[in-house]
Amino acid sequence: MDFKRFLVNKLILFFMLSTLITAAVSLIGLLFDGDTRFGYKEMLTPIEYAALCLLPTLVTFSKRELSPKALLARKALMLVLIEGVILFIAFTSDVIDTGRVEVVLTIVGSVLVIFVLVHLFMWFKDAAEAKKLNRELEAFQKHHA
Amino acid sequence: MNVRIEQVGKAQEELVLIRCRAVTDEVREIAVFVKSRAGSLTGTSDERQYEIPVTDVCYIESVDGKTFLYTRDRVYETAYRIYELEELLKPKHFLRIAKPMLVNLMKIQSIQPAFNGRFTAVLSSGEKIIISRNYVKALKAALKGE
Repeated sequence: MDFKRFLVNKLILFFMLSTLITAAVSLIGLLFDGDTRFGYKEMLTPIEYAALCLLPTLVTFSKRELSPKALLARKALMLVLIEGVILFIAFTSDVIDTGRVEVVLTIVGSVLVIFVLVHLFMWFKDAAEAKKLNRELEAFQKHHA
Repeated sequence: MNVRIEQVGKAQEELVLIRCRAVTDEVREIAVFVKSRAGSLTGTSDERQYEIPVTDVCYIESVDGKTFLYTRDRVYETAYRIYELEELLKPKHFLRIAKPMLVNLMKIQSIQPAFNGRFTAVLSSGEKIIISRNYVKALKAALKGE
């Protein structure tokens, strides 16, 4: 994949992550610290998290086509790095109570859920594209039979 | 080498005759080219040479500098390079779907989503091959006849 297309994909991923992180932060906040009130500055947090989570996705970039095994290995590494980034933010934050194990576990679980959801959305997008390709293939084969 | 073209009547058989002092690689290449234009490719399997109808070839793959033709139940090695076959077989509905691979579009049974924006082509032989992301655009264009 060329770098331009890689960047476009990352931009789509960024918006997807911003939405999902906003949902996750809201749910975790309501669950563990429902009475806390934030200012406008905190509204930028999901965007910052999404931007930081994009950095580890650079490990999946390759000019040549990766084998399914190599891609899977890089995706696993990406997940570990994202978990690391988010946990680093959590442990250096004054707001997040990382002293509570359940908070840390919920953060780790949320990252995993978002990771799976992002890939699920992408798979649905590819499935819709494959459906369209199959229709075009059928028409092509009928025309040239 | 001189080239002479002679027109024949409808009743006569069309024939390309190569008159040479020795059957060199160049002569073989010309023969392979003529055969491919006529709808067949020369391939070797178990040290025997075969004429394989292009329509029987499901896909073509280049591995370690060698080119292989895959039919429903056999694999043949051919002297052609993948880029040469790409040009030759374009009118026969062959399309590059990965750097080392050409597929016969008429032999694709279905296309399925694969991991990370790639697709899998399920062939009529039952084999599954990966369509690289870099070639998806070309596939879409080919299916639309562009």
